[in-house]
Amino acid sequence: MIRYLLRRLGLAAVQLGVLAVLVFALTSLLPGDAAAVRFNEQAGLGQITELRAQLGLDRPLLERFADWAGGLLTGDLGTSLMSGDPVTGVITGSLGATAVLAGATLVLVLPLSLVLGLAAGLREGTRLDRAVSAVVLVLNGIPDFVLALALVALFGLQLGWLPATWVGTDGTDLLLRPALLVLPVTVLLARTVCLLARQVRAGTVAALHAGYVVQARRLGVPRRTVVLRHALPNAALPGVQELARTGDHLLGGVLIVEAVFAVPGTATVMIDAVRGRDVPVIQSVILLLAAVALALNLAADLLCHRLAPRSEAAR
Amino acid sequence: MSAATTAAARRPRRTFPAAGGLLLLGVPVLIAVFGPLLAPALTGPEGAPYVLGDGHPLGTDGMGRDVLGLLLRGGRSALGVATGAVLLAYVLGGLLGLVAATTRHRWLEEVLLRPVEVLLPLPSLLVISVVAVWWRGSPLAVALAVSVVNVPAVARLVRAAALSAADSPVAEAMRLQGESRLRITGGYVGRAVLPAAAADAGNRVTTAVFTVAAANFLGLGMEPTAPDWAVTVAGSREGLLVQPLAVCAPAAMLVMFTVGLNLSADAWLRRTGLSGRDAAGPPADSVRKGA
Repeated sequence: MIRYLLRRLGLAAVQLGVLAVLVFALTSLLPGDAAAVRFNEQAGLGQITELRAQLGLDRPLLERFADWAGGLLTGDLGTSLMSGDPVTGVITGSLGATAVLAGATLVLVLPLSLVLGLAAGLREGTRLDRAVSAVVLVLNGIPDFVLALALVALFGLQLGWLPATWVGTDGTDLLLRPALLVLPVTVLLARTVCLLARQVRAGTVAALHAGYVVQARRLGVPRRTVVLRHALPNAALPGVQELARTGDHLLGGVLIVEAVFAVPGTATVMIDAVRGRDVPVIQSVILLLAAVALALNLAADLLCHRLAPRSEAAR
Repeated sequence: MSAATTAAARRPRRTFPAAGGLLLLGVPVLIAVFGPLLAPALTGPEGAPYVLGDGHPLGTDGMGRDVLGLLLRGGRSALGVATGAVLLAYVLGGLLGLVAATTRHRWLEEVLLRPVEVLLPLPSLLVISVVAVWWRGSPLAVALAVSVVNVPAVARLVRAAALSAADSPVAEAMRLQGESRLRITGGYVGRAVLPAAAADAGNRVTTAVFTVAAANFLGLGMEPTAPDWAVTVAGSREGLLVQPLAVCAPAAMLVMFTVGLNLSADAWLRRTGLSGRDAAGPPADSVRKGA
């Protein structure tokens, strides 16, 4: 286990290094930079060159990369081209609202999808199974932004039950107004729960038909024990791995949700940064998110390693 | 697999979801393909912003443009970019996966797959948005970015599916009969991969449509005036209560496409006896052979 862990950690470090190079290349080699954007096309070439020099964009690529990578290792992510503030400050300042959203979603996602998936999988082929599967299938086909707009229109504007926007909140009084969270978290949960519940259902069905479960039942082990002790860990396996992969969906969801509900969070910062070609912010955020995804995948693989040591969860 | 087939046999065959799925899928696809041809004839004149009726069957949007005209012209980019990107991802990723699974050289497999797998943890929507913004919403650039983001997962999936086919008695028998590697790979392994690949492709097109639409909705994709379903939804959302059709019509197109695709894929999987487990790709890398 320790050796496996160390090997995986080493691989992850190398992968992160390669990703850093890629992210830098992606954002540096693309045509147009922040200086050109700020001055549109009308500006004189002199002005642009001046600003470029001021922002340090005229230095050779390798030098800029060395600078950036060095900063990364020491925790200095550079300064935002748009606001002039340190990137670390820009990101941490907006983290609160996003953390509350993501936290509430993560707390609810596993129990919900386990319950739905197990309920459907244990009663395979029954009306309940078909109902759950149908809802999951349809909900899975509705884009996040359509769902968000529909919920806002219905519960926020027509019925007026729930707040439709976060305008006027700064993310600190969230705990006092939990109603703010209901609609955004629902949007975030919808697709993720669908994806996971499908996996858990499939895992449950497969586990219940597996030889060891059939044999255990034949030997007279009660159904409840078989399900909880033997089938569940194996049924959860695909779910756990899928969970790590849904991080990407969830991130897309957060971007949409923060835009629709005007949440003053990290996703809003990201959207503004991409729009304004704020390269230092974009680079740092993409790399941070990739690191989180890597860590999640690693955690999922380790968990699978524990749950079912024989499956080759990872190379 | 036996579990899946017995389950499918026990369940009564349902034809409704399949037919309904195809019907749902058909409308947006037909509009995307033929809409641009019909648009010049059917597009109403520009009018006041957010009016309903008055010569505009679906009303006008915030800029006074005819929503029906936008709808007819907006499908090509909304569906085409994503579908093309997934096709390209399958050409590249499928090739990588097949070669990696059937090669005898371990180093070749490493050389082919390792660099691709490095890309897996990248946040796809952000990467696509960056490319879209830098290239001013060029559909080609966006399609390329979407396909690059998809290649690693496709390569992994195809490799896993191909590995089990390449180890099967059929492949073994072909090898013993002296068939060439190319024939075994193309003639048997490649075809054995198809069902799993098709199921995954359905999922992947849905996700790609979502991602491209999300980027457009956030204003990080095409120009804000472009006739694209997602762009229209985003542009008209402040008029949601005044002129709901400007938001609902293009949104309905997207939902019909993805729900229809999901339903048809699901029905097709049931018929071919593949379980949902295979549909979502090989769950664990437990399919992999050799540590």
